[in-house]
Amino acid sequence: MMMTKQEFLTSSGLHVQTLELWLDQKWLLPEESDQGLNFSDRDVARARLILDLKNDLRVNDEGVDVILHLMDQLHGLRSVLAQLRDALPEETARDR
Amino acid sequence: MRDPYELIGVDRTASAGEIQKAFRKHAKKLHPDLNPGDKSAEEKFKEITHAYDLLSDPEKRKRFDAGEIDATGAERPQHRYYRDYAAADGDHPYANSAGYADFVDADDAFAELLRRGQRARANRRGADLRYRLDISLLESIAGATKRLTLPDGGALEVKIPPGLVSGQVLRLKGKGALGAGTGGPGDALIEVDVIPDPRFELQGDDIYVETPISLAEAVLGGQIRVATPTGDVSMTIPKGSNTGTTLRLKGKGAPRTGGGFGDEFVRLKVVLPKSPDHELEAFVAGWERGRSFNPREDQRS
Repeated sequence: MMMTKQEFLTSSGLHVQTLELWLDQKWLLPEESDQGLNFSDRDVARARLILDLKNDLRVNDEGVDVILHLMDQLHGLRSVLAQLRDALPEETARDR
Repeated sequence: MRDPYELIGVDRTASAGEIQKAFRKHAKKLHPDLNPGDKSAEEKFKEITHAYDLLSDPEKRKRFDAGEIDATGAERPQHRYYRDYAAADGDHPYANSAGYADFVDADDAFAELLRRGQRARANRRGADLRYRLDISLLESIAGATKRLTLPDGGALEVKIPPGLVSGQVLRLKGKGALGAGTGGPGDALIEVDVIPDPRFELQGDDIYVETPISLAEAVLGGQIRVATPTGDVSMTIPKGSNTGTTLRLKGKGAPRTGGGFGDEFVRLKVVLPKSPDHELEAFVAGWERGRSFNPREDQRS
């Protein structure tokens, strides 16, 4: 489900200035359209994660940067691993 | 529910600072987003968070210590973690392949598998794009070719087949977003809205119109022009027509789903000259049979 900036602020509980800051940092990458920014559920979940990192885990901004970067790579790896898992049965079938 | 002190791993005498420190130590290890593949992490994290919610609130902690409340109580509202959205489908703005980019270039079976995966993703079909298009009732009946201006400034030629109704979706193959590689573009899906026409009332495949006629045309009959969705046609009004007389124009309605066309029904409405006409008044005043005719005869009680 896509939502507007206002809906996103309500849903995530972020302050508008915090959002601007996070957008500047490229921590959040909502879709851009003629009507403005379009946020997804994924963006809300990512904002919650950043809030958890900063509030519960006391990670500072530099730390959030590093964690998000590594996390995105980790999910990239997980997704390619999932693809490999799907591709593997074919391979073994051919070798037989 | 286990004892919250035990869960967090502090003494019952621990200070608020000690509790917070202990909680953060657990959270760093157990936060579900820091353990994307570990399903049990979420359950453990929930327990820890719950215990921390209780112990970090001085009021609740006091009441728990006094035995007034137990360790259950209100749960934090459930939410889905980021890991649920970042999963298998790698096609989103946060996706990052830097973690294995070096493997892909290697010359072995593993790299071949990775490359195949990348190609599959590289050759993804473009997304379907949805549009709305307003057309007139006449266009929906006769069919038309419309130009749809796209948000990016481009335009699409849309052929409207005859007989379209509101809410129907036209699919223009290959007119959607561009795909990657050999994936091919998606389709454009155009939902059509038919704007009602005040002159024509559509009932199923049939069309109803009201046409004013003059007194002379009503009494003496004649030829008039009547609007139909496909243009004006000539229609014969029989002698002695009246307001409410309905004439049928066969096949001038909307296309039927099974083929053929519905009919157009023309309801006549006799209209007197706008300004008072002395000749007409004089005639009606001296018109014996006209004055003795009572159209309300049947309604008398």
